[in-house]
Amino acid sequence: MRWATRAGCHVDRAACAWLIRRFIDAAAEFVFVDDPDEVPDGVTPFDIRGADLSHHGGDCSFETMLHRYSLDDPVLWDLARIVHEADLADDRFDAPEAPGLDVVCRGLTMVRGDDDVLAITGPIFDSLYEYRRRALLLGKDPA
Amino acid sequence: MWRKLRRLGTAQLGDGLVALPNDARTKEQLEWIADEVLEAGGEATLWVARAGSVGQERGLAAAMADAVAAEYRAVIEGADAAVGESDSARRRMAARLRRELHRIAQRDHFPPPDREQAHRAVERLAAGVETSR
Repeated sequence: MRWATRAGCHVDRAACAWLIRRFIDAAAEFVFVDDPDEVPDGVTPFDIRGADLSHHGGDCSFETMLHRYSLDDPVLWDLARIVHEADLADDRFDAPEAPGLDVVCRGLTMVRGDDDVLAITGPIFDSLYEYRRRALLLGKDPA
Repeated sequence: MWRKLRRLGTAQLGDGLVALPNDARTKEQLEWIADEVLEAGGEATLWVARAGSVGQERGLAAAMADAVAAEYRAVIEGADAAVGESDSARRRMAARLRRELHRIAQRDHFPPPDREQAHRAVERLAAGVETSR
């Protein structure tokens, strides 16, 4: 399946792309556009104006995706807390990890193109997922 | 919605008209808010505009800098007022003010000199420099 999002992949788009590849569509292909009107036919848009898979009611696109695809894995919702604060910083959640993730993703967009950003952030989100999975199992931060 | 706009540090140009310096991040933030307004049945459009004169642009930037400068001064007052407190009270206050500085930074598009002073005041409080002198 092909997916389209806004060029300049910051944390919410990078997290959504990771979520799509890991949990929704392992063979996902991504195209990057500058304007919502440039989304090609037959391609599913996300984190771009006018798309259903984007910000709604104060949720970031990552949270919207978890809702739309009925992903109820508590670890993913825990990651959503971090992604939400890294993207929106509206203090809806307590996420001390968020400012660091925001800076890393923002810096990446300065030195790499969108394909590279997704390739590099993939393992970062894999690691965050594993870390938070262990933290939730242990009830404390893992060693 | 107005609370969200305030958090982004928008300048109020008129009734229902706000402005932010244009970059990829601010544009996207305003787009999401505009979409929320549309979703709620309201009206919102986003325009990329340029001031008619340099003076007008400077005036707007100065007003935005003044707004955050007042917030930085409140941080300085908070830090100075806590200087004589106990170690633990100073630490707690420093942690709170650091978070506050982080929040102000999100809406600080034209950093005034007060920014540096506020950061120094909070670090002084955290280090306990004033009391150890």
